[in-house]
Amino acid sequence: MRVLLMSGLALGLLAGGAAQAQTPSFPSSGAFGHIDDEAAQRGLAVYQGVCASCHSLNQLHYRDLAGIGLDTAQIAGLANAVKLATGQPATPDDVFKAPAAMSMGGAVPPDLSSIVAQRRDGTRYIYRFLTGFAPAPAGVTMLPGHYYNRAYPGGQVAMPPVLRDNAVTYADGTKATQAQEAADVAEFLTWASDPNLTARHVLGIRAGIFFAFLTLVALATKRRIWKQEG
Amino acid sequence: MAEPTADALAAHGTETRRDFLRLLAVAGGAIGVGAIAWPLIEALNPDAAGLEAARPVVLVSDIAENATKTVQWGGQTILIRRLTDQQLAAAQIVPMSALVDPQEVSERVAPDDGHIVVVIGMNTGAPCALQGSAPGDPRGDYGGWVSPCDGSEYDALGRVRAGPAPRNLAIPRFRFIDKHQLQLG
Amino acid sequence: MQSEAKQGVACPYLIKDRAPGGAWHATLPTLLGALLALLLASGAVLAVYYNPRDAYGAVQMINREVNGGWLVLGYHNTGASLAFLALYAQLFRLLLTRGYRGPARFAWMLWVKLLAVLLLSGWLGFVLQGGAGGALSLTHASDAALTLPGFPGAVALWIFGGPSGPGTLARLLVFHVLLAACPVWVICWARCAARRARPAPEGRAVAFWPVYASQYFAALAALALFFTLLLAFAPHWGQSAQAMLPGDVLPMVISYPWYLQPVAHLAGLIPGDGGAILVVILAAATLYALPWLDRSNGAPPGRLYRGLTLLLGLDVLALGWASAPVLQIIFGIWFFIHFLVLTPLVTAAEAK
Repeated sequence: MRVLLMSGLALGLLAGGAAQAQTPSFPSSGAFGHIDDEAAQRGLAVYQGVCASCHSLNQLHYRDLAGIGLDTAQIAGLANAVKLATGQPATPDDVFKAPAAMSMGGAVPPDLSSIVAQRRDGTRYIYRFLTGFAPAPAGVTMLPGHYYNRAYPGGQVAMPPVLRDNAVTYADGTKATQAQEAADVAEFLTWASDPNLTARHVLGIRAGIFFAFLTLVALATKRRIWKQEG
Repeated sequence: MAEPTADALAAHGTETRRDFLRLLAVAGGAIGVGAIAWPLIEALNPDAAGLEAARPVVLVSDIAENATKTVQWGGQTILIRRLTDQQLAAAQIVPMSALVDPQEVSERVAPDDGHIVVVIGMNTGAPCALQGSAPGDPRGDYGGWVSPCDGSEYDALGRVRAGPAPRNLAIPRFRFIDKHQLQLG
Repeated sequence: MQSEAKQGVACPYLIKDRAPGGAWHATLPTLLGALLALLLASGAVLAVYYNPRDAYGAVQMINREVNGGWLVLGYHNTGASLAFLALYAQLFRLLLTRGYRGPARFAWMLWVKLLAVLLLSGWLGFVLQGGAGGALSLTHASDAALTLPGFPGAVALWIFGGPSGPGTLARLLVFHVLLAACPVWVICWARCAARRARPAPEGRAVAFWPVYASQYFAALAALALFFTLLLAFAPHWGQSAQAMLPGDVLPMVISYPWYLQPVAHLAGLIPGDGGAILVVILAAATLYALPWLDRSNGAPPGRLYRGLTLLLGLDVLALGWASAPVLQIIFGIWFFIHFLVLTPLVTAAEAK
């Protein structure tokens, strides 16, 4: 299992190639990828500290955070710190608190529950998008209230650049560079979009080995029977 | 005894190997079918939202001293009260002989928080909802709950002290998730 | 030895079929049947949790909240993909070997009916997911259906219950479930018809158990392996990321799953929503009429016919792949030319 995961990572690195040299390799990508709980927990901190003021996470409950390794007490504490619209603190069974409805010059911030699945090569896209803000190239006329982003289709997006160095402080002491924050939140959103990614890959390896073995046995049985009875 | 011929040996070997293969194939097939079918059966267990309804989480840290929170759960009214130190001290000195249904204080309060009492708000005499939870309700002579139907009176720990009711108020199944929240069920 | 003695009286039928790889295609209907059974079983579980009034939310909920719900969704999703793969392979094989003629005609017509049922069921499944593409596709379909005059219009009104709204998916769910029962009958029927059409084996008859059973078992095990790998490592293979967008985001172009894409592009031959429905009906009728379009009178398929059939297979693949409307029209017209013009000409020429 460990070896498979590592070789999957190595393959992912090779496949990444020079064109995407600036994009880090994500533990979750590739056939044998798995969600890195520590990175996803840091990504949760980024989501809560930065993204959550505009973007909802409507399909997730606080209890679901057990999937990235938070224990019951941590989840209860985290939920308890959130004040719902009713004035009550949230419980683990509540959906992530949505921000007040807003409109960025006509653009509505999308819900992030499935954002990685909704974009082609979603994990890397989120990373490239969050690190893709730049001054508009010469000759590009910007729409009012828009920002230039290399990764965004069309290049102009209503969302301002929000990630910068030390936008959050990580509990585990990791240095919160902009690239680190982008990579961590991409990993967190990958988990949010596909909470069963690790389980699916583990199942694929186990059931794959079993059915490969069964196929060989069945083929041998068939050959033998046909030789005998034919 | 004649030695078995090479041919017979070979045939015998083939025969056992085939039988073993067949056995392996049939067993593997059965395991495979079972493994494929299992998730379909497993998926019919209650989902997370159903479990949420079955096992609600209640915040208790916001209950003031001597106040009661009522929660509807599975068709029953659950009463959660935070006791004052005085109430607990007063309850400690009540002799067991004075009780209809003798139970120690430690048996009545929540195991993880000695100030919290969780009971089912149903009179154990005539089936009837209890008064004493809302701020203006009468609480009877024992500072707990009273039944408006048969006049039974309970103390702050939910122990029956007067009236026709034969048993203390029932305690539902619950556990503390942390010091702020408890989960019923 | 024993096996040699048996071979002495062995039926040539069986020996011929034992050529390496030769008989494996005979397991295709069984594989398709197994996949349909899996679709029925997983569909029954999904129906427990599905909510037509909030289709997108229901699918999300099954994926996230139900115990192993993601796996049951995967069964249904991957199962549908592979069922179409098996059916397309079976149809292509019958075309290549002219397995639609003579006594097998009845079986061929059942296969075409199964194709129609599965396509309709597949489209309903696509719509029932509540994704962005499905929602737009449903709007197109119900708009087209409701403009139909007379009796077809009344049927459309009965099916969709008016313009697509919150209640439409509840109706379509019922049709999806009802259609699901049909393939079981059709596939049993087709098997019987095919068996009756097959020449009786000469010499000793070979028992199903264990000879054929062992082969079917091996094929099923290989299918399970392929299924597992697809489900675990490429769960959305052949489907666009668009399907993951909620239905209230209307896309510019609908991305269908791969198995509906050729039909969707073929439907674009006649512009307008009503025209699309007409083309699909014409295409199904063409396949249905194939036994009469073939003028070969029992001659074996020649090189030209087989070449053209391979070309048709490539054409259908290209039709699904192409995104440019011009290419879609060219590949779509070729589909009809193949059956309505080339097949009668070539088969008649080869029969001489």
